[in-house]
Amino acid sequence: MMTPISIAGVASHFPEQLIDNQYFFDETTGKKPIMFRGSKSRYHLSPEDTSAEMIEKAAKKLSAKLDFDMAEVDIILTHVTLPDLPFTGCGADVAQRLGAKSKWVVDVNSAGCVSFVYMMALAQSLMTTSNAKTALICNVQTAAGRIYSHPENRTNPQASVPGDGCGVALLVADDSRPVKAIVTKCFPEFSGDMTVASNDGRKWWEPGEVPFHIDFSEAKVAKVFARGNRMVPEVIRATCDQAQMKLSDIDALVTNQPNPIFLRNWREACLLPKEAHVQTFEEHGNLFGAALPICLERGLETGQIKANDNVVLAGFSHAGDFAAGAIVEWRAA
Amino acid sequence: MNQENTLEGVEGLRRIESFVPDEMNELCLELTHAVYPHDEIYGPTCTVQEYIDCPPDAVYQYLANLYSLEEWTWSTRNFSAPNAEGVCVGVDALADYTKIHCRVEANPAARTVDYHCAWDQGDELWMVYLMRVIDAQTVLNKPGSVVLWTNCHHPYYDKNPFPETAPKERPVWVGDLWPLFYAGHLVEIQNLKAILEHRHANNLAIGPHVASVEARRGWGKVA
Repeated sequence: MMTPISIAGVASHFPEQLIDNQYFFDETTGKKPIMFRGSKSRYHLSPEDTSAEMIEKAAKKLSAKLDFDMAEVDIILTHVTLPDLPFTGCGADVAQRLGAKSKWVVDVNSAGCVSFVYMMALAQSLMTTSNAKTALICNVQTAAGRIYSHPENRTNPQASVPGDGCGVALLVADDSRPVKAIVTKCFPEFSGDMTVASNDGRKWWEPGEVPFHIDFSEAKVAKVFARGNRMVPEVIRATCDQAQMKLSDIDALVTNQPNPIFLRNWREACLLPKEAHVQTFEEHGNLFGAALPICLERGLETGQIKANDNVVLAGFSHAGDFAAGAIVEWRAA
Repeated sequence: MNQENTLEGVEGLRRIESFVPDEMNELCLELTHAVYPHDEIYGPTCTVQEYIDCPPDAVYQYLANLYSLEEWTWSTRNFSAPNAEGVCVGVDALADYTKIHCRVEANPAARTVDYHCAWDQGDELWMVYLMRVIDAQTVLNKPGSVVLWTNCHHPYYDKNPFPETAPKERPVWVGDLWPLFYAGHLVEIQNLKAILEHRHANNLAIGPHVASVEARRGWGKVA
C-alpha cells in the first residue's frame, strides 16, 4: 500500500532575460526563421544564472506561500535539463541554500519533459518506504539560454522554441489534496532517437569551436511526432482508468508544451475544450520539464484550475522513451 | 508550352520550387492531428478497406456478380433477373417494403466493380458503391487482395428527391444512416472477407452460392 501524497503548492521563477522573436532573425541574410508558430517570447538563462539559484528563489516563494520552512523538507528531488556542472546535480547546492538537512537529495536525469510526474512517483515511493513526510520537487529548464543563445544555434529553425524557467512543488504525505493515480511507462526502444550533435561531429564533452544542439534525426521526426500524438492521450486514458475516472471527468489538463500542435492534438484527443488545457507556450516557449509545475501554478492563478477540480498532469519525454500521467483532486487548502 | 506557363494563374499551389521543405514540414505538422472528428473523415466520402486472403481475380469475379450481394451485405436480398438495362430489383431488408434497384459496372482489367443503386425507383441510380480489388502481392508483398470501397455523399442522401416512390409511412430514408455508413460498411467488408477467406482456405467454389438467374424470373415484386 502506497502512502497517500498531496501537492501542497507550486511556485516558479524565471531568469531575467526576456527574449523576443526578433532575436532569432539572421541579420546577415535577413532570413526569418519560419518556426514562430504560437510563440512571442521566452526567457533565457544568462551565463551567470544557475539552476540551484533558480530553485532557491522558487522554493522561497513557495515557502512564503505555504508558510512552510524549507529547512524542514525531508526529500529534495531535482531535474535540470542542462546541469550547472557535470559529475553532479544541483541538489546538494539547493539543500545548502535552503538550510535543509534532507535525508534524500536525488538529482534525476531521466524522464525529461514529464520528470515532474516521475518525481512525484519517486517521492511517493520514498515516503512509503521511509518516514519522510515532505518532498520538494524541482524542475529547471536551462537549455534555451545555454544552447540556443549561441550565435551558431540561434538561427536554427528550432532555436526559438525552447524557453528557460523553474517550477517547484511541495509534496506532503497525506490526503489533503490527493494524487489519485500516477501512471509511468518506459519505452526503452525509443531511447536512441534523441541525441545531441555538433556540426564538427565531436562528442559534446570534447573541446571544440562550435556549439552542440539537440538533434532529432530528420528521418525520425515524423515518427517521433506520431508517437507523441499517440503516447500522451494513451497515458492520460491509462491514468483515468487507474483512478476509475472517465476522460469527461477531467476538469483541467496540464502537459509539457513542446509546441502548439502537440497541445492542440492532445486536447482534441481527450475531447477537452481549449480553456481546460493550461499552457503558457506563447510567452514561455517549450519549458521542457518545468512546464508542468509552471503551468499548474498558472492555472491556479488564472482560475483555470478551481477548487475540487480533477487536474491531470501528463506528458512524454525526449523522443518518446517515457510517458507519465497523474491525477490530482485539487481540494481547497 | 512549358510547365510554368501552364500553371500560371493557378492559385494555392504548393510545389517545392516555391514552397520549400521547411515550409512543407511545418504545414504537414499543422495538418496532422492525433484524432480526427468522424464527420471530417467520413462526411464527404466514406471509404473502408480490407486485406482478404483470396486471389484478386477470384475476389473481383465474386464482386462483379451482383447476386453475391445477397451473401456478403447485411440486408440486400432477393434480386431479380436483370431487365433490359441490366438492372436487378431486390429488397433492402433494413427498411420495410423497400426495393433496391441495382446494376453492376465492372472492369476486369482494372478490377473495379461499381454498383449503381437506388432505393424505391430505378430511373436514377444515384447510390454508387465504388470498389477496387488490388493484388496484395503488388502492394503488400504477400498473396491475396486488398479491397477498397468508397461511397460519395450524394446530395440525395440528405433529402429524398423521389418521396412519391417511397412506401407510405416508412420511417427511415437511406441517407439518414450516412453517419453510420463507415460502421455498416466495415461490418459488410468483414463479411466479404470471412466468406472469401473461408472458401479460398478450404478449396471451395468461391461462389456466390445463391439461386441461378433462371430461378429468379419473376422476382423483384415487393410485398
